[in-house]
Amino acid sequence: MPVSLNYIFKRIILSILVVIGVIVFSYILLLYTPGDPAVKWAGNPRGPEARKAIEMARRELGLDQPIHVQIAQFIYHVFTGNLGLSIAYKVPVSQVITSGFTATLELLVFAYLLAVPLGLWLGIYSALRRGSRFDSFIQSLSVVLASMPTFWLGAIIALISYSTTGFLPYGRVSYKLAASTGFNPITGFYLLDALIQGNYAVFLDALLRIIPPALAISVYPIGVVARVSRTLVAEALLEDYVRTAVAWGVRRNTIIKHFVLKSIIPPVIQISGLAFVYSIVDAMVVESLVFGREGLGSILLDSLHKADFRVTIALAIYLTIFYILVNTIVDIIQASIDPRVKI
Amino acid sequence: MPPSLPFIRLVHRNLRKYRFKIGLSITIAILVLSLISQYIAPYPREGLGYVPVGEENRRLLHPSPQHLFGTDTLGRDLFSRVIMASRSAIIQAFSVVFLSLIIGLIVGVLAAYFKGLVELVLNYLTELFMAIPSIVIALFFRLTLEAGFHVVIISLVTTWWAWYARITYVYAKGVVELDYVVLAKLSGLSSAKIIMRHVVGVIIQPILVQAISDLGSALLEASGINFMGLGLPPGYPDWGVILYEGISEMGIMAFTRTPWLVFYPGLFILLTTLGFTLLADPLREDLDPRLRRRWKLWF
Repeated sequence: MPVSLNYIFKRIILSILVVIGVIVFSYILLLYTPGDPAVKWAGNPRGPEARKAIEMARRELGLDQPIHVQIAQFIYHVFTGNLGLSIAYKVPVSQVITSGFTATLELLVFAYLLAVPLGLWLGIYSALRRGSRFDSFIQSLSVVLASMPTFWLGAIIALISYSTTGFLPYGRVSYKLAASTGFNPITGFYLLDALIQGNYAVFLDALLRIIPPALAISVYPIGVVARVSRTLVAEALLEDYVRTAVAWGVRRNTIIKHFVLKSIIPPVIQISGLAFVYSIVDAMVVESLVFGREGLGSILLDSLHKADFRVTIALAIYLTIFYILVNTIVDIIQASIDPRVKI
Repeated sequence: MPPSLPFIRLVHRNLRKYRFKIGLSITIAILVLSLISQYIAPYPREGLGYVPVGEENRRLLHPSPQHLFGTDTLGRDLFSRVIMASRSAIIQAFSVVFLSLIIGLIVGVLAAYFKGLVELVLNYLTELFMAIPSIVIALFFRLTLEAGFHVVIISLVTTWWAWYARITYVYAKGVVELDYVVLAKLSGLSSAKIIMRHVVGVIIQPILVQAISDLGSALLEASGINFMGLGLPPGYPDWGVILYEGISEMGIMAFTRTPWLVFYPGLFILLTTLGFTLLADPLREDLDPRLRRRWKLWF
């Protein structure tokens, strides 16, 4: 048993407490930022129906009840996914959020499948050639790339793509193509859907459109993973067990693959997890404004323009819950790989 | 005669490093630019966001000697706008980092020094605020308050202080158990004095270095929030806002037809962030003995 159940239990309890804290915090922000919360929840309605809408919002939020009852109700609604109808889209809020999440998640997972192995490879390679020209080039490049705003980098990538190939990566998939081939999204992950349905034209199209934003997003995790793994490998190479292995005549590749790589995996997972949650906001900015993809970013902007406060708040809360979820999972994975982690 | 404050000594020691010099020059250049830009800008009123008279003929001009960076969608001189935006960048980066540093330092040290319930509660709060993305806070403020600096600064500080609280806590935890702190307590020194002199005084250096390198991240995040249109009002001289106007008003074709609208503000963000990073990196290496070690591999 590599990981104590006790640790997992404590970690989950802490996460649940944090989630509840976040919901309470959001609710208090909703109540105490200027303006009538019922009006905000109803989305600043105007016209003859306004009074009715505000009354309904008041009932939904339970504003006549004592505050702790209101908060308990709100928490209950969040966990049951029952946050009412979106005013702008006329569908349940949870449905809007889910569709946004799948789109953004597809992009993020794609970017990270690209970034983590590449970063790891760069880190290990430059640690093995510390001080070489390759190493210092990668070092300087990562400093410069880390200083770029992701959305700017995305714009540059789009520009390069357009000026060299004439292809402008916009949206998630070409709707004309999707309609003509009868593409039917089921899971919301277009790449997956297209593969399952054997619709290779749409798959290729979606792939071409996901690569540029994914490249822009992956620059940050590549830099982080490369830097961390470089330091870790360089340190691990100085350890006694490596010297012993060398003395035993173990082959260089075996040492690196079996001993060194194994020892750096847990911290690399942790740092990738941290970078992942940070990248969510990056992805929201890049996908919506630069590449015109639907997703959390476009939902956020839409809900702001249309004063769809319910969607905005739900988005904020579920985004945070997702944040915490990823962090918790990463911590537990790390603990189950690395026996040293104990609380 | 080397100065006596440890942090100044640290800077002094690194002054001759190449990277540090570049970082320092960029930082000073941006600082000076933020102070004098409104006097050297060729069109200061347009820089502030006023739309010039006869703008129809001046929209989207290519870069030329008259308009070094061209003009934007409303006919404003982009060069004036970009250099005058350095002030907003400096204000946002420094106030976010400074305020977060102060709050985080206080919370972190208190959590480490006073154990028990205080530690538990403060650590929970730290964990809580670390878990909230700053864009979420910006959303709430955007919906309820006027657009402006306070939206950006408050929303970043709300989440950022927790990181400083965490690192301060980790460093301070290692110090408060040391003999000299215990002895200071036994000798009857007041808690405030012990904390200031013997705890904060000892751990402040790495945290300050972290703060310097975070100036760049603060600028990047603030630009992101402004780029989403959540922070400063449209027209305000800020790199994020200028990029937003360039990209959102022109649509995706902005990059292809009018690349200068997108290129220059981003370049300035890049340079400024790079300056802060280059400034902090040599200091960090100096403080962390692991990074200084001479590497000799076994094979």
